[in-house]
Amino acid sequence: MTNRTPDTDEPLGDPRTTLALLEAQQRQVLNAQQTPVIWMYFIWGVTWLVGFLALWSGDVDGNPWFTIPAYVATPLFIVMLVASIVASAVLGVRINRGVRGASVFSGAVYGLSWTACGTAFAVLGTGLISQGLSPELANLYFPAAYALMCGTIYLGGAALWRDISQLVLGLVLLAVGAASSFAGSPGNDLVLAIGVGGAFLTAAVTLQVRRRSGR
Amino acid sequence: MTVDELDPVIHASARLKITATLATLPVGDQIAFPRLQELLGMTAGNLSTHLRKLEDAGYVDVVKSHQGRSPVTYLALSRTGRRAFEDYREALRGLLGESA
Repeated sequence: MTNRTPDTDEPLGDPRTTLALLEAQQRQVLNAQQTPVIWMYFIWGVTWLVGFLALWSGDVDGNPWFTIPAYVATPLFIVMLVASIVASAVLGVRINRGVRGASVFSGAVYGLSWTACGTAFAVLGTGLISQGLSPELANLYFPAAYALMCGTIYLGGAALWRDISQLVLGLVLLAVGAASSFAGSPGNDLVLAIGVGGAFLTAAVTLQVRRRSGR
Repeated sequence: MTVDELDPVIHASARLKITATLATLPVGDQIAFPRLQELLGMTAGNLSTHLRKLEDAGYVDVVKSHQGRSPVTYLALSRTGRRAFEDYREALRGLLGESA
């Protein structure tokens, strides 16, 4: 062991201050990794809530208080969906930026699972339509399939990173996605808006409150 | 154990923050110098100085690499460094009467 460089570092105080400095630094690093995750939960929460409320309000059998023209509701939903996918891709890359090594493979597989599962569920739905699935049932299938997909992948994320927020979110999305079909169309849109949108927004707020309180 | 007996390589403000940050990386991962600098809010010169001290002590592994044509330095705690950091944290908790 050689110490060629002069020590210009600041001396540390008592053990309590030192331990507090150590823990504060580690918390700051974890917060920096968590910020994009909170944003993702927030963005997807707004998209599920507003997007599916718009679809529900765009159906004459949906919202009893007012109706949005379908030519507004459907494009609004699609624009929000595409914007959220783009934002997630950008934020997802930022979570572990500057890091390489063993965990990069896990992160890459996790990222790929969204694209692979999203495509598979779309192909399955298209296949079912080609085999005679009615538009009413397709309206039940697609949103439920994507809620189940999100729930399943979040369970995988929870296992990979021992992340309780993803575990709870995953279980809620699986329950809401599965139950939404019983509401029929377009009632399922309301169930998904409140259930899935609410779950994402609750997760975002919970993480934000927890980091504010230093836990 | 007294405060004076704490590992002098880690027991200094900047190096404590550096080792604490590197310890959050899972074993097997390395972090690029600019990202580490960003997480620590230190100048490049100051960070380099303290990293050299940690490298001299065998606590940090430094890997020079290339991204395209630009050179990038990746850093990680060595096995010795991770153990030293964990011992240091245990010693601090011991001094405060906390168990691990």
